[in-house]
Amino acid sequence: MQIRVNRRLVEVSAPDDTPLLWVLRDHLGLTGPKYGCGIGACGACTSLRAGQPIRTCVVSLAEVGDAEITTIEGLSDNGDHPVQQAWKELDVPQCGYCQAGQIMTTVALLARNPHPTDEDIDEALSGQVCRCGTYQRIRAAVHRAAELAEEER
Amino acid sequence: MTITMSRRAVLGAAGGALVLTVSVADEAMSMSERQASFTPNVYIELLPDGVTQLTVPRTEIGQGVRTSLAMLLAEELAVPFSTVRVRIADLDVRYGSQMTAGSLSVRSLFDPLRRAGATARAVLIAAAARRWGVSPDSCYAVDGQVRHPQRGSLPYQSLLAEAATIDPSTVPVRLLPREQWRILGRPQRRVDTHDVVTGALRYGMDLQIPGTLVAVVARPPTLDATVASVDDRAARAVPGVRNVVTIPSGVAVIATDTATALRARDLLTITWNQPRLNADSRTWRQELMAAAPEPTQIPSGGEVFRATYQMPMLACSPMEPSNATAHVRPDGTVEIWTGSQNPADARDRAVATTGRPSSRITVHVMPTGGGFGGKLFDRAAEEAVRLSAVTGTPVRVMWTRQDETRHCLARPASAHTMVAVLDGSGTPIWRHHGVATWPLTVMPFLNEQFILQDGNHFPYSVPGNVRLALCPAPLPTGFFRSVYSGQFVPAEELFLTAVAHRRGRDPLQLRLDLLRNSEQARLRRCIEEVAEAAVWRNVVGTGRGMGIGCMDNYGSRIAVIADVSVSPTDGLRVHRLFVAVDVGVVVNPLGVEAQVQGAAVDAISIAAGAQLTVRQGAIEQSSFRDYPWLRMDRMPEIQVTIVEPGESTPVGGVGELALPATLAAVGGAVHAATGVAPTGIPYLNRRD
Ligand code: FES
Ligand code: FES
Repeated sequence: MQIRVNRRLVEVSAPDDTPLLWVLRDHLGLTGPKYGCGIGACGACTSLRAGQPIRTCVVSLAEVGDAEITTIEGLSDNGDHPVQQAWKELDVPQCGYCQAGQIMTTVALLARNPHPTDEDIDEALSGQVCRCGTYQRIRAAVHRAAELAEEER
Repeated sequence: MTITMSRRAVLGAAGGALVLTVSVADEAMSMSERQASFTPNVYIELLPDGVTQLTVPRTEIGQGVRTSLAMLLAEELAVPFSTVRVRIADLDVRYGSQMTAGSLSVRSLFDPLRRAGATARAVLIAAAARRWGVSPDSCYAVDGQVRHPQRGSLPYQSLLAEAATIDPSTVPVRLLPREQWRILGRPQRRVDTHDVVTGALRYGMDLQIPGTLVAVVARPPTLDATVASVDDRAARAVPGVRNVVTIPSGVAVIATDTATALRARDLLTITWNQPRLNADSRTWRQELMAAAPEPTQIPSGGEVFRATYQMPMLACSPMEPSNATAHVRPDGTVEIWTGSQNPADARDRAVATTGRPSSRITVHVMPTGGGFGGKLFDRAAEEAVRLSAVTGTPVRVMWTRQDETRHCLARPASAHTMVAVLDGSGTPIWRHHGVATWPLTVMPFLNEQFILQDGNHFPYSVPGNVRLALCPAPLPTGFFRSVYSGQFVPAEELFLTAVAHRRGRDPLQLRLDLLRNSEQARLRRCIEEVAEAAVWRNVVGTGRGMGIGCMDNYGSRIAVIADVSVSPTDGLRVHRLFVAVDVGVVVNPLGVEAQVQGAAVDAISIAAGAQLTVRQGAIEQSSFRDYPWLRMDRMPEIQVTIVEPGESTPVGGVGELALPATLAAVGGAVHAATGVAPTGIPYLNRRD
């Protein structure tokens, strides 16, 4: 089966019902999306399907179709996407394990809502657990990313 | 501490590197046995390309230790922060303990690293002075160079060979006075963030060693259950499954990839012997409550006031579940990769499992997605070793979130009987704290004395006593952020707040009244600072209120004020949290803030309902759904004020500091908001 991941067409041989997370990690070596729960309850595995955030641990290979999948590895060439820049500027991560999911969810949020309010952020990001408790910096970084994206436009 | 220096040829680099080795006493184990080991365990290498490599026997568990330690060295060595690289050492007996716990990483290395940096600086200055033919006193070091007012400057790289010929004991070593610090005490962003935000950082779970097989384990459904029989035909029939092996912890499925292993595990039919189907945490609660010691004698002369509290079992649930990769090779060597807080445990388990000597076992310490005390005992590494011994290939064992929750080493539950004698004005003049709890089954040698040392930190001037009753642990128990302080301190603080409300006194003012001695000044100051930041108000029974919690522990002080509402529709919501901390000398204010916020998030999660309960022999919770950790929509604004104590205060611990005090502050606020004294944690949604 062929799927599109990070602007490349890749060949995958795995059963149809294989969760996309394991296709990405074990078959394609894209270990940016993390395993946190495997049941859609933590958001560590979040990546984008056609720009929309999905929990790759509960989306099967068959459900991917020909939509473009973007993982954290495919977000930018040099780690300079406005969201990544903001994350660095505000020193967001602690252990960092949840942050790919936080970042990808934020990318999707800003794409549909370039200037989110705190309430918008709550709504978009409340599915993402950060066990280290970095939420306060995440919130500030989402606002900062919105500014940086505005400057780039 | 001893510092030695040598020049070592570095492969692939031109010329040699200047190498300093430092022996740091083994303070992480000071609670039990401090080893008098004087083998070097910290390596500092000044490489010819201008990079300084620091190798430390500690783990990065998200606490920013790599950043803090680089700051310490860069300051005294007088090199730019960005040129210091910190490597986490592989396990090596020469390092002594490599445990990362007890908020001790920076504390134990604060002096040794600065001293080592200052020694290297002095030696480099001596080398430059010799070359120039001037007095070392006329030279100084800055930005990786030795400078002289007339002679100009020499980069360290050009001095390495000469420096190596100088005996460090012959040069005067002077630590920089605090007013000359340029790096320490200033906000420093983390060194590893770029790799995190690009997905490039490889955690233990992300290792890709060619030929690695992946294993998951079907674990006992109830406490102490063992495998009676296994029908693994369906599992073995799944393409990609390589083996199914019964091991002491369950039935392992080994496959070419994770999805296959998980799918096949679900196809196992296992019959279990289940000796403890009746285990129930409600019974355990009652037993603890009954065991909590009563005072033998209560002094007369005032009102006797009493209360009881219950504290829950908790799971560490780090974001990255336990996992480890092992390769047991035919040549007798064993290699292990694990994101452990205590890599020696993985080695010891490998020795016990394979019978091979520890000299044949290498443990690589991987970056890990959180620890919180949950990665001190490496059961995943033991399983990986067992399975690799069967397959001969590298095997990665992955625990699922459900495994991580149901098979955690639980933070013990506890019950507390508090008694106070109040004088005419409602001030406590005597106190009794009776605690019943369980020991840590992972560390049987940590006795009552250890538990009291860890938990008992009552800072106020109220005479009285603490008595501890240890009951047998009914399930495997282990460490958790703040361990026993997380039980003792909230109980004492909730009680003190209840004492205040009993006579309509202000809980914050009562604390100040009980902290009048000079050795209590640091805590007192934290309370005063936080009261001002929060604009403290003692209002009771309006649905919204403020509470205060304090602690003096880990060489640090903390006071927390929580502003909380409690309502039938919205439950317990922490609106704002104010924290004042005195952590002695501050290494990295950003790190302090992050650790405080993290521990506060833990406390709010636990206050609002994260807890483990056991029914019919099994832990009921299995993921962040039913063991709910705080999320963005309930995250309060947390304002952290760092209170700087006087010059001579040593560096204190940070990682565990904020949890007990925040639990207490939230509880005090619940008391104020509802007018009803809490009887235990969680404050809402408690299930026994
Ligand atoms: S791993 Fe996918 S939501 Fe938790
Ligand atoms: S940074 Fe550790 S879980 Fe979010």
